[in-house]
Amino acid sequence: MSWRTLPRLAAPLLLIALLWEGAVLGFGISPFYLPPLRQVLGAIAALWPAYQSAFLVTLAEATAGFAMGALVGIAGGIAFAHLPRLRRMVLPLFVVSQTVPVIAFGAIVVLWFGNTLAAKAAIAFYLTFFPVTVNTLAGIEAVDPRQVALLRSFGAGSRELLWKLRLPAALPRIFTALRLSAPLALAGAIVGEWFGATQGVGAMLLAALFNEQVVAIWAAILAAAAVGSALFALVALAERALVFWREEL
Amino acid sequence: MTGAAERLDAQLTVAAPPVGRVKLSLNGVARSFGAVRALDRVDLSIAEGEFVTLIGPSGCGKSTLFNILAGLLEPDPGGTLLLDGAPAPSGSLLGRIAFMPQRDLLLPWRTVLDNAILAAEIQGQKKREARELARSMAAEFGLKGFENHYPQQLSGGMRQRVALMRTFLFDREVMLLDEPFGALDALTRALMQRWLLDLWSRYRRTILFITHDIDEAIFLGDRVTVMSARPGRITLDRTIPLPRPRQPSLLTAPEFMALKRELLEAVEEESLKAFAANGP
Ligand SMILES: Nc1ncnc2c1ncn2[C@@H]1O[C@H](COP(=O)(O)OP(=O)(O)O)[C@@H](O)[C@H]1O
Ligand SMILES: [Mg+2]
Repeated sequence: MSWRTLPRLAAPLLLIALLWEGAVLGFGISPFYLPPLRQVLGAIAALWPAYQSAFLVTLAEATAGFAMGALVGIAGGIAFAHLPRLRRMVLPLFVVSQTVPVIAFGAIVVLWFGNTLAAKAAIAFYLTFFPVTVNTLAGIEAVDPRQVALLRSFGAGSRELLWKLRLPAALPRIFTALRLSAPLALAGAIVGEWFGATQGVGAMLLAALFNEQVVAIWAAILAAAAVGSALFALVALAERALVFWREEL
Repeated sequence: MTGAAERLDAQLTVAAPPVGRVKLSLNGVARSFGAVRALDRVDLSIAEGEFVTLIGPSGCGKSTLFNILAGLLEPDPGGTLLLDGAPAPSGSLLGRIAFMPQRDLLLPWRTVLDNAILAAEIQGQKKREARELARSMAAEFGLKGFENHYPQQLSGGMRQRVALMRTFLFDREVMLLDEPFGALDALTRALMQRWLLDLWSRYRRTILFITHDIDEAIFLGDRVTVMSARPGRITLDRTIPLPRPRQPSLLTAPEFMALKRELLEAVEEESLKAFAANGP
């Protein structure tokens, strides 16, 4: 990240903060609907270690599931591109798996894994792997056949074609899928925490809701947004390093 | 000779000057796509180190012929294709002939140098060594100072030179060039033609070169072959007795003009046939 990036990121945040404070003051919104931002930030500062550890717990759950989903999705896309029979047999199962709502799926997973990091990661995984699989496959299939022919005329086999052409050519699509699934992975982790977890932003959100602590609800929302931003930033950094040629087009 | 050129000559094949040995020989090679007969029994023989140009109306099957020679497309059964005197079934040609397709097809995620070594790398050459060789050749291909640029930062002429460098670094005795200068402006094209002849005289590859420009076909070739409108076959095979090295002034010389008139007639006839068959 360059020195320019920071102000570019900070400006919209500042704008949201100003709108928030301005709206609360200007329209006299009751704190039950929207407490002033100062108060929410104050609550976070007062319980900083708790929020920090909740942030880290949820980030770890979401990242673990997201990374697994990305790996399995990319590997699946590659396998489906090379083995049409496997694709005909397994891809429909992938599609069917996505028809089970994440809440129902989460309940089962927590029954199986108990209240562990693995349970939340599994739900995050469930929401991540499918879009990544589909986009990896689509990216590989969209490779210019003339480029494939050229590499074959150089004597390339399917392994060289994959590493030197198909995978790099599919990277932009893969990253599009990763950017879309990052918030899904976070949602998966939070849903997982709702089934009895005591740690993480999802657990904090639920506790605040039960106790009708409006300020704490908003504080948990901010913490969740921070996790989402961190995950998104990870993907964006990886994308910038790996898909550098796209900006120059 | 410079040090770099000596090193290149040691590493890249420099074939002996033509001794008349047949490098590539086609006999009755044909190909249909469903009901469309693209190539109709092509007979063609190319000697080692020879520069043969191929000219013909668009859609007559020139690229199809190249795809067959590169091993990418199977010819219809019946014809024979000999490389170095031995029958070469379609699959066996992959990796044996340096093919440069009509588009440069450079990979946007690879630098100039890494695009140039792509074929060598696929052939199992060490990346570091291949890069070293490519770096020492960059000046010769007019790419000095651009080694680490990406294709999208280059002009059309430069991209074409990278593609040519990739083809040369593939280091096969036979090179197929499909309209390599077709998309360039006239001035750049003239420069590239002389530059290619210069390279060819040094590395002595056997070259088959597709073009739709008669001047280019005559200026470059030892022989000009004319292909008929679809279904394509060789209708004229003309030896070009102009001395080498060839200078740009040749383009206005009377003997050049005479050849051009002769070939123009043959090509015109085929173009009219193609026009009548397919419309403009
Ligand atoms: N893969 C293919 N499938 C069907 N028809 C093809 C294919 N490749 C080429 N053709 C047809 O064969 C003919 C010759 O094409 P091509 O060799 O590309 O011509 P040229 O390079 O001389 O312009 C054209 O009519 C084209 O439509
Ligand atoms: Mg063509």
